Amino acid sequence: MTSYRWCGLLLGGLLMAAQLVGADQPKLPRVEFTDQKLENGLRVFIAVDRTAPLFGISVTYNVGSRNERPGRTGFAHLFEHMMFEGSENVGKGEHFILIFNNGGNMNGTTNEDRTNYFEALPKNQLDLGLFLESDRMRALAVNQSNLDNQRNAVQEERRLGVDNQPYGKAFLDIDNLAYDNFAYKHSTIGEMADLNAASVDDVKEFFRIYYAPNNAVLTLVGDLDPAQTLEKVKKYFGSIPSQPAPPPVNMTEPSHYGERREIIYDPLARTPLVIMAYHIPPGNTPDNEALHVLASVLSQGESSRLYLRLVKEKQFATQVFAQADERRGPSILYVYAFLRPGVKPEDCEKAIRDEIAAVQKDGITTEEVEKARVQFLREQIQTRQSDLYTAMRIGQYAVYFGDPDLINTVVDKFNAVTADQVKEAAQKYLVREQLSLVTDLPAAPQGKAATAQKEGK
Amino acid sequence: MTAKCRSSISFLAALAAAMAVAMPAFPQEQHAAELSKVVRLNRAPVSNETLQVTLPRPVVTKLPNGLSVLVLERHKLPTVDFVLWIGTGDMSDPKDMPGLASFTAGMLREGTTHRTSAQLAADVDKIGATLNASSDFGSTNSAVMASGLAPSAGQILDLIGDVVLNPTFPSDELEKYKRRQLSQLEQDRSQPYVLAQERFRQALYQDFPAAVTLPTPESIKATTPERLKEFHHHYYVPGNAILGVVGDVKPDEIMGLIRKSFADWKGQPAPKPDWSHLPPAAPAKICLVDRPDSVQTNIVAGDYGARRTDPDYIALYVMNRVLGGGPQARLFLNLREVHGYTYGAYSRVGDDKYREAWAANTEVRNAVTDGSMEQLMAEFKRIRNEKVPETELNEARHSIVANFALSLEQPQGLLFRWMLVQDYGLPMDYWDRYPVEVAHTTPDAVQAAARKYVDLDHLQIVCVGDPKQPATIRSSPSVTC
Repeated sequence: MTSYRWCGLLLGGLLMAAQLVGADQPKLPRVEFTDQKLENGLRVFIAVDRTAPLFGISVTYNVGSRNERPGRTGFAHLFEHMMFEGSENVGKGEHFILIFNNGGNMNGTTNEDRTNYFEALPKNQLDLGLFLESDRMRALAVNQSNLDNQRNAVQEERRLGVDNQPYGKAFLDIDNLAYDNFAYKHSTIGEMADLNAASVDDVKEFFRIYYAPNNAVLTLVGDLDPAQTLEKVKKYFGSIPSQPAPPPVNMTEPSHYGERREIIYDPLARTPLVIMAYHIPPGNTPDNEALHVLASVLSQGESSRLYLRLVKEKQFATQVFAQADERRGPSILYVYAFLRPGVKPEDCEKAIRDEIAAVQKDGITTEEVEKARVQFLREQIQTRQSDLYTAMRIGQYAVYFGDPDLINTVVDKFNAVTADQVKEAAQKYLVREQLSLVTDLPAAPQGKAATAQKEGK
Repeated sequence: MTAKCRSSISFLAALAAAMAVAMPAFPQEQHAAELSKVVRLNRAPVSNETLQVTLPRPVVTKLPNGLSVLVLERHKLPTVDFVLWIGTGDMSDPKDMPGLASFTAGMLREGTTHRTSAQLAADVDKIGATLNASSDFGSTNSAVMASGLAPSAGQILDLIGDVVLNPTFPSDELEKYKRRQLSQLEQDRSQPYVLAQERFRQALYQDFPAAVTLPTPESIKATTPERLKEFHHHYYVPGNAILGVVGDVKPDEIMGLIRKSFADWKGQPAPKPDWSHLPPAAPAKICLVDRPDSVQTNIVAGDYGARRTDPDYIALYVMNRVLGGGPQARLFLNLREVHGYTYGAYSRVGDDKYREAWAANTEVRNAVTDGSMEQLMAEFKRIRNEKVPETELNEARHSIVANFALSLEQPQGLLFRWMLVQDYGLPMDYWDRYPVEVAHTTPDAVQAAARKYVDLDHLQIVCVGDPKQPATIRSSPSVTC
């Protein structure tokens, strides 16, 4: 593993301060894992960690809401729910019962770029975890009443997380405004009407196309014997037939000319919100990493630029966040601020733009780069506490970028970013032509959902 | 946001009336022709062995000034976590100043005799650490928490020591803090669960301090540096504190660093409040809280729970596991998996030095509010009236004990367990005996806990929703509160 920190020091300037901070930093411990592929195409990663008597298992399927078609938004996630509704040898709801009653935890999640299913279990329940994941990969059982039931559960999930929440519509609409390509333009949770339209045949078809071993990655991390574990994996998953590769998704995002704006009048909100979204390159690219460093400099910690300017100095906002997504396709850097009542959104927007302009003009300091690095290192090390989370990340890196070893190399890539690269990336990407902006304003109760007003430029 | 309050009649009569309205003012959703069913095929390979896990024990020390220190070594990764509990939280707020403990904690980072707010922020961020202080409403403790890389342990301790021993509560920073808190209060009050908790705790705890869940604009505005200094002076004293450390540390070395930061901490021991006298449980009632344009009803229903030190706490915990403690439990399987009313339905047992609440909660679309109430009540009655079948109880007990293996992975979680032991004055073998006691909880003990704690005569129910929502419980004249 190469440390890039020392290269940075050769550049001169404020060497000593940086060196003193960085001098005794620990390294991110390496995760050693095996990487095998079964004959049916299932890719299997196994990593040993004997510090606690448990293991994490994660199955990452190469399908997300980007694979959906118009009229069926929300389907990848609805389908994820159906994976808990029973398979050939597992009854509906039995998955929850078996995992929790044997001391485990579990869940499944869907985003734009992948769907994953995962459990943490005491180490003596390896067969249970493998059996449950393989049975539903092999032979999902679907019927109308279970689909209707989960359609209801998902619609309540949407109400809980979006429709009954202040700012719920704003956080969905920002992507809708920013993207033109349907793949990322529509929401993962989906439209109610589309959820209503989903049929049992849709579920069966989706299962056939996407839920095949050659479209999935299985990761196991924990107190395991690697050879014995692989034998068990072969026993449970080896006979599941592969399927033709799913159709590729066109992720091309047309060029953007001019900024886009939307105002939402939100009867559930009591204070304003501003969300800004800039188009940036996909994850695992040098520019995306530079913008990740920038996001950290802008908003991580109470010494960050946006916190100092917006929260402390101007007192426009109670909280402000900058976040560079690392998507497989065209990605986004978001900046969003929760405003104090009475603050004009345009004043807040201008203060954010001023901070971005300052980076574009003068760049960031060596100390800021060092700070971002040590914050990132601490986060990366802390996320390794959980074997399950490590498993999920290895699986996700494999599906996203074909590079499971990013679990080890992300810190090096982050450390390779220089202050100059951050300045250049800010100049190139954080420009008006690439900006979409949603303002959410409190509105009087009106007996209907939040309404939006769009302005294109 | 208004809560309707009308005079109270018995809850059971209220519910009966609510359910008996033949012609609801608005149509309620009918049950689907065919309900989805939970099915046990019992074909999965399950190991029946329960891993015997012993939690690693911390080194416990008491400094001459009275500060208790727990050090737990975990060397998997080069990180360190610190938790400092001050044995006084928002439960001890003066009546005229709800939030004083929170404000005091929240202002610790805004200036000390050695560092300004900006310098503190810079020093924390420079080493990649996190440092936060807070109290929660209903909590008997305030907490200062910090995390970082193991080689920074000394710098982190220096920062914790500085904010805990030397805060100055500067008035310019306080004015800014107050403005942020006023905005935050507005933001919080837009959340339905915040409104539900507010009304539920008022209904349950009446004039007991645990009834308070939010500051008021008046209490925020009235805060002065003097009030914060006074609170800090009385309660931020070593005899009223426990410091826990977990991570990649050597006990001798870390104790040296702790002494360096905390040996000079002085102060008279803080008074220990007695939280054992709750108001008599209020008669059962339903409280409606208006949240115009809500598309769901947030339901909370509960009673006084038990203290961890009460003899039937473990029986209550096991009972709750069966009833609502997870997606494998009855409430979730019924309200979500069978009826499709909700994304989730759970119940929880609180844990503090007073009888924290036992409460169930679920969020349901407006049209099934009545049906959801009906199913909640049916499950409450069932666990009271019928003994939990032996196999179901076995699974619940097993789930709790087997989960101990997973708890070994999270250093902060482990530390938290030991800080509880210290804080409550429990014996050091508490976590060794705990799984044994869980495993020996009998069906009779579980039923006794259900009858005592799922107390329908005193059940407090809160529904937050749109005032125009189509629920018969709304139009029923017997709705109280």
